[in-house]
Parts: sequence; structure tokens; C-alpha cells
Amino acid sequence: MNAVWSVALITFKEGIKNRVIFGIFIIALLLFAATTTVTTLFMRDIVKVAVDLSLSTVSFAGLLTLLFIGVNLFGKDLDKRTIYMVISRPISRSEYLIGKFIGIVLLALSVVVFLGLLSIVPVIMSKRFYYYTEAKFDWWIYFIAVIYIFIKLAVVSSIITLFASFTSNSFIALVLSLVAYIIGQSTESVRELLVSQVEKIEVSPILSYMVEIAYYVFPNISAFDLKTQAAHGLSINPSYIIWTALYAVFYMTIALAIGTLAFRRREFP
Amino acid sequence: MAVISFDKLTKTYKTGFRKKKTALKDFSLDIREGEVFGFLGPNGAGKSTAIKILLNLIFPTAGKAEILGSDVGEKEIRRSVGYLPENPYFYDYLNPVELLSFAGRASNMDSLKIREKTESLLNTVGLWNERKRAIRSYSKGMVQRVGLALALIHDPKVVILDEPMTGLDPIGRKQVIDLILKLKSEGKTIFFSSHILEDIERICDRIGMLVNGQLRRVIDFKKEKLIKSLEDTFIEEVEKAGGLQQ
Repeated sequence: MNAVWSVALITFKEGIKNRVIFGIFIIALLLFAATTTVTTLFMRDIVKVAVDLSLSTVSFAGLLTLLFIGVNLFGKDLDKRTIYMVISRPISRSEYLIGKFIGIVLLALSVVVFLGLLSIVPVIMSKRFYYYTEAKFDWWIYFIAVIYIFIKLAVVSSIITLFASFTSNSFIALVLSLVAYIIGQSTESVRELLVSQVEKIEVSPILSYMVEIAYYVFPNISAFDLKTQAAHGLSINPSYIIWTALYAVFYMTIALAIGTLAFRRREFP
Repeated sequence: MAVISFDKLTKTYKTGFRKKKTALKDFSLDIREGEVFGFLGPNGAGKSTAIKILLNLIFPTAGKAEILGSDVGEKEIRRSVGYLPENPYFYDYLNPVELLSFAGRASNMDSLKIREKTESLLNTVGLWNERKRAIRSYSKGMVQRVGLALALIHDPKVVILDEPMTGLDPIGRKQVIDLILKLKSEGKTIFFSSHILEDIERICDRIGMLVNGQLRRVIDFKKEKLIKSLEDTFIEEVEKAGGLQQ
């Protein structure tokens, strides 16, 4: 555990000191400021708009952190051979990979905690300035939505770890992770569209089969999106919260297990 | 007992769809306890390949390598090994204290010991006053010296250095030579590769000449007096091996 933790800690430190993170924070702050301004353009549902935009900002900043810093934390190790310094110590390849994953997850956690707390400001401002008695809002649901943004980012971190375990350079890992994220974001909607047959469109069985495979292979990213519930103050079924969290743990375990298997036999010439 | 042992080691790399390159062929060598062994060979001779196999960074195609009687695949053996890679690259945004702290923790050292060793090593390599600067602002020579400190933080029995003089100015080279001699006086076994023949001759007990992946000759300076200079002897061995094969 010492080995895993020491890799996680050094990964986190290198990530949090990266200058790109300041850029991401500035973008997030500008988006929060824009949220406060944009909400004034709406006649109704101002709090809903503020909640939606604030949560989207936290999620977007977290994703940028993972794609531009998280992927690079692996990339540099493999491209520039910083990994020599790590695995020439009593650290196995599996411990390295898991440590790296935990370090990236810690980075995502700090971004979500910092921006999640900051995101309260535009929501409070919109609530104060434009008070509507009919507006339903619950801070508990808001914070559950923030926690689920973190869980989503943890799942994305496991995908980055999986791709980094077998790709030869960081750009390929970045592209694959981004593609997996985009597919994972939309598979549920596409599958529902096919299953419900609302549009009565004839779809080839091969296409249906491919969508079904993509639904199970790629992570269902949209399942972690609780923005609508938070914006409308809708209650969330406790079983949904538990099952989604378990799904995330299951997905991460599988991704890391495959990644570890691939990485165990990898050479660093 | 040999501290480092290569036994009929062969390493083949895939260089294309059906192309292969043999970097090491039937390479056998024993390095004894407490000796300074210099590994000599032209570029691409297979020196780094042999060293990387010792650190389990790559795996042998055939044969085996052992350190202190344990297979190099066993991670616990790396607790006794310090390694400086060729052209080392470290985390850009961290400073040497953070790097050494990581290396110490990874080797199960306690915090107090890590702090003590960090101070003494950074003083030895002349970086104590620069310790708070991020590595990315360091020169090549300074990075090399951080690498040396990293290799020694956990007080290893075996020290493996891949081209430790690369990128160093004459003062830096002298510091490395003094450090190697100090490690030798502490009873450590040192295995290092270098192109700088003058340094090799000065500090090594034995040297091995590797050409085209094969060990051509081992010279024991205590038993053997070279008739020609080391440079001429080396060139002769390369020519005997049929020159360099690309």
C-alpha cells in the first residue's frame, strides 16, 4: 500500500502544481461570473438556469483537468521515461498503475471540491436577487449532483488509466479517452431511441446490435448527470443513487483490472 | 556469490512487422561484491539493454539476470538497488526534496531518515541551496545530479549508473568520480556504463567490453596490465568483432 500511496501522492502533487490548472480555474471563474450575468436575461426559472450552468461549469472544468493534466501525467511518464524513476524502485507495474489512477482521482476530487463550493455563489446570488416562491430548490440534491460529477470524473480517470496502459503515446490516449467519453455520454439516449421506436424508423439489426454493445462496453456517463434533478428540485430515488454508485465502482474495477493486465507485461525500452 | 549475474542473456526487439534486432546475445557476466565494474561499448552495443533488464524495465527473451541471488523480476530486490538512467527526466513541477521524499517513501524509509538523507545527499551533489526550485528550471547537469541523489537516497547495496557523466562539466564529472569512490569505500557494488575511457580506467576494478550485443572481453586491472592504451584496446576489440553492425 505504501508503494501505491507514494505514487498517488507524487502524481497528485505534479498535477496540482501544473500551471494548466490555473488556466482551468480562471475559465471556471469566468463561467461562474457569466452564469450570474446570463441568468438576468431570463424572465423565469432563473435559479434553474443558475444551477444548470454552475453544475455544468464544475463538470466541464473537471473534464478539462482530466484530459489536459490527467492524460499528460501518464503521457510524460511514458513518453519521457520518467517511469524509470518509479518502477526501478520496489514498485510493481500494477501498483504504479493503481497509484497513478488514485493520484488523478485525487486531482479530480480537489477540483470538484474547490469549484463545487465556489459554484454555490452564483446559485445563492440568483436566489437572492430573483426570488420566486414557486421555485423548488434543495441544497441536498445540489450537493448530490456535485458528488456525482466527481464519481463521473473518477470513471473517466479509470478509462484514461486503461488507455494509457496499452497506448504508446499520450495523444492516442487523449483521443481514445475523449471518444469514449462522447460515446458514453450518448449511448443511453441512442439506445432508448431505438428501443422505444418513437420515430418508427427501420433500423438494421447490425446497427441495433452495435448500439447494444456500445451501451455495455462504454461507461454510461449520462447516468451520473443529475443536473436536471438539481435544477428542478426533483427528489432522487435512493436506489438510483446506490445503483449508480455501484455501477461506477464496478466499471472502474473492470477498467483497472484490464489495464493492470495489459501493463504487467509492458516493456519500457 | 556474485552480486549481479547475467546468465546467457538474450534480448531481441521487434523493429518492424517481421523485423527483429538482437540487442544482446548469450551475454553472461558476474559482478563481485564491492567492486566497481565499468561497462564499455560503442553506441547501440547493448549496454543500456543489459542495465534495463537488471531493473526489470524490459524482459529478457532468453536467459536470466539476478541481483544478490534473486531474480530481477522480484520487486523486493530493488530495495537494495539504486539506479540512475541515461538522460534522466523527472517531474517538471516538483523540487528535488519532493522527489527524494517520494523515493524514500517508496523504499519504506521513515520521514526522519528521509529528511536526514535528503540534506546530506543534496549537499553532496551541490544542490542544497537550489532545493526549493522546480526541476524544470534546472540545467541538464543539475538534473543528472538529482538523479544521482535519487539513486542513493535509500542507501542501496548495489548502484547501477547508466552513463552517469553525460551532460556534466569537468567539475560535475569529478564530483561523480569522487562519489563513486566514496561508495566503493563504503563497500557498495557499482556497475556503470560510460563512454569516457579516461574515467573508467581511473575508477574501475574491472571493465567489460560489449560490442554488437556480445561481451568481447573482461579486463581485471588488478591482474592485467594493458600494453596498449584503453582506447586502442577498445577500438581493436570493436574491429575484431567486425566493426559496428547497424
